[in-house]
Amino acid sequence: MGVLSDSLFRIELLLEKGGIVLWLILIASLLMWALIVERYYFLFLIYPARLRQFLGQWQQRQDRQSWYAQRIREGMVAEISVSLHRFLLLIKTLAAVLPMLGLLGTVMGMIQVFDVMTVFGTGNARGFAGGISIALITTMAGLVTALSGLYFSANLEHRVQRAIQYTSDSLRRE
Amino acid sequence: MRTAKFYALLKGKQVLLGVKGLIFLLGVISWWTPLNAWGTQAPKTLDQLLEQVRQDSLQDRKLNAKREARFLAARNQQKELLAKAKAELQAAEQREEKLRQAFEQNEKALASRETQLKEHSASLGELFGVARQATNDLLQIINHSLVSAQFPGRAEDLSAMVAHKALPTIAELRQLWLSLQEQMTESGKVVTFSAPVITAGGAVETREVSRIGTFTAVSEGKYLRYLAEPVSGLVELNRQPPSRFLEAAAEFEKAESGEVVPMAVDPSRGAILSLLVRNPSLLERIQQGGWIGYLILGLGAIALLIALQRFIFLLIIGRRIDRQRQQKTPSENNPLGRILGAYTGGREDVETLSLKLDEAILKEIPSIERGLPTLAILAAIAPLLGLLGTVTGMIETFQSITLFGTGDPKLMSGGISQALVTTELGLAVAIPVLLIHSSLSSKSNRLVQVLDEESAAIVARLAEEKQGLLEENRERDGSAV
Repeated sequence: MGVLSDSLFRIELLLEKGGIVLWLILIASLLMWALIVERYYFLFLIYPARLRQFLGQWQQRQDRQSWYAQRIREGMVAEISVSLHRFLLLIKTLAAVLPMLGLLGTVMGMIQVFDVMTVFGTGNARGFAGGISIALITTMAGLVTALSGLYFSANLEHRVQRAIQYTSDSLRRE
Repeated sequence: MRTAKFYALLKGKQVLLGVKGLIFLLGVISWWTPLNAWGTQAPKTLDQLLEQVRQDSLQDRKLNAKREARFLAARNQQKELLAKAKAELQAAEQREEKLRQAFEQNEKALASRETQLKEHSASLGELFGVARQATNDLLQIINHSLVSAQFPGRAEDLSAMVAHKALPTIAELRQLWLSLQEQMTESGKVVTFSAPVITAGGAVETREVSRIGTFTAVSEGKYLRYLAEPVSGLVELNRQPPSRFLEAAAEFEKAESGEVVPMAVDPSRGAILSLLVRNPSLLERIQQGGWIGYLILGLGAIALLIALQRFIFLLIIGRRIDRQRQQKTPSENNPLGRILGAYTGGREDVETLSLKLDEAILKEIPSIERGLPTLAILAAIAPLLGLLGTVTGMIETFQSITLFGTGDPKLMSGGISQALVTTELGLAVAIPVLLIHSSLSSKSNRLVQVLDEESAAIVARLAEEKQGLLEENRERDGSAV
């Protein structure tokens, strides 16, 4: 319990040092992670069920060669592709935005440093520390969260491509 | 021979000249000789003349003797004077010698006294230096201390002591001690007193002021700061800290003595609060960015307008398309309905139908994707403009370095803050626009895919159903027949 509250306190301290941008980074990365988890959930649980449903529909048809049949098959693949691609772009964008947020934090921190310099000159090194801690902590947070998100977004993209391929193949085969 | 004769002649002439000259000389003398010298009676005969000349020469000799005697007397007198002067000189030299000896003796005495003084005042000199330094430091502290608002005029004695060139007296040293002790004691007190306060409007009012040591002063729920220059006094901050601190201040003022209330204290003795006043507001920040900052914000506003329009459009279209998917009859108010309208239900051949569908889809797609490339470009441009502002700000900074050198960081920081503010604005505009663009484009992608792929499928299903009905009808007809 003590360890937990201690680490919570540390996190609180870190958030206080990072300023408002760190909160934005936290929110953006939480959103990104929620979306990533949702995507994996969809990919492993919902997608197979829907594929089975479509396969059943497809197998009920007698005619699978005519122009109409082809269009209906494409429509099924498109529906699955749409639901698979959902949020992928947003995840990718979030992963791209997070380092930018880090950069924003850096700039804000540096502005604070120069504000202090405008008032106190270069003598007050302690005054700089606040701005510099904002600059460095946000940069670090933005980079770390973006790196983790980048891997999963690429991984998801790859899996989605394979899933679409698999869908269209299995619909054609039957 | 001839020359000898000539010489004799010349000689004879010379003798003649000599006699003539003597006579002339005598004439001159006789003329020059005063009349009385010659006697009253002019000599009648040569003997008489001789006698007279003799007597005259005798007289001359007497005169000369007298003159000599006079000269001798004068010389003796001069000699005496010289001797006297010499004696005086000697006396003066003796005196000089005596004085020099006295001087040297005094010098030696002085040196020995000085070393004596140095030996005796060695520790005391240090003491006075320390006292003066302490007075200066204390004067600085007192001039900038909140305590001076409660007790004005404390610094006068000390500044007199600093201005005084002579060694400080015991009374002054005691005064220094007293002032130090007073400052120390007062800085540990929380007191309320009435003092003139310069309000944010510039008026001077006498108010109840609460002071926490030398750190913070509040009055009527507002934070004050103590100004030492140009006039010393309490000034209400024209930009107050966040509201929770103001509430704490109001609570603090209401509190009874002995009660414990939470209160914010400025440990830097007012420096942080004065920083708060100088901290530029959001508007001033944007102004620091210059015209590039305004340009970025203008682009951001345009992007937001476009995004809003697109969002509403896509939302409405999406709703209608979803509703259309549930219905069988195509309606004209949405793109999917219009595409489905291409299929009239007649028995046209497949190729014509596919061409018709493609044409209808191509007509609908541009209106769905409109505006999105603009958003993407705006999201890309904003950070670039920020970079441009950074570069111009840095140019300004280097110009000021060229003019003023690197000595004053305050001059340089103006350009640097412009540089950073534009970068900040660029990022602050680009990040939301990027997110909005991605969500809008994923929405529009979905709609396009629905139109592109699913519309054909829907048409195909409709056609199949119709065919199936036709076939059932035919079969029913056939069985009936």
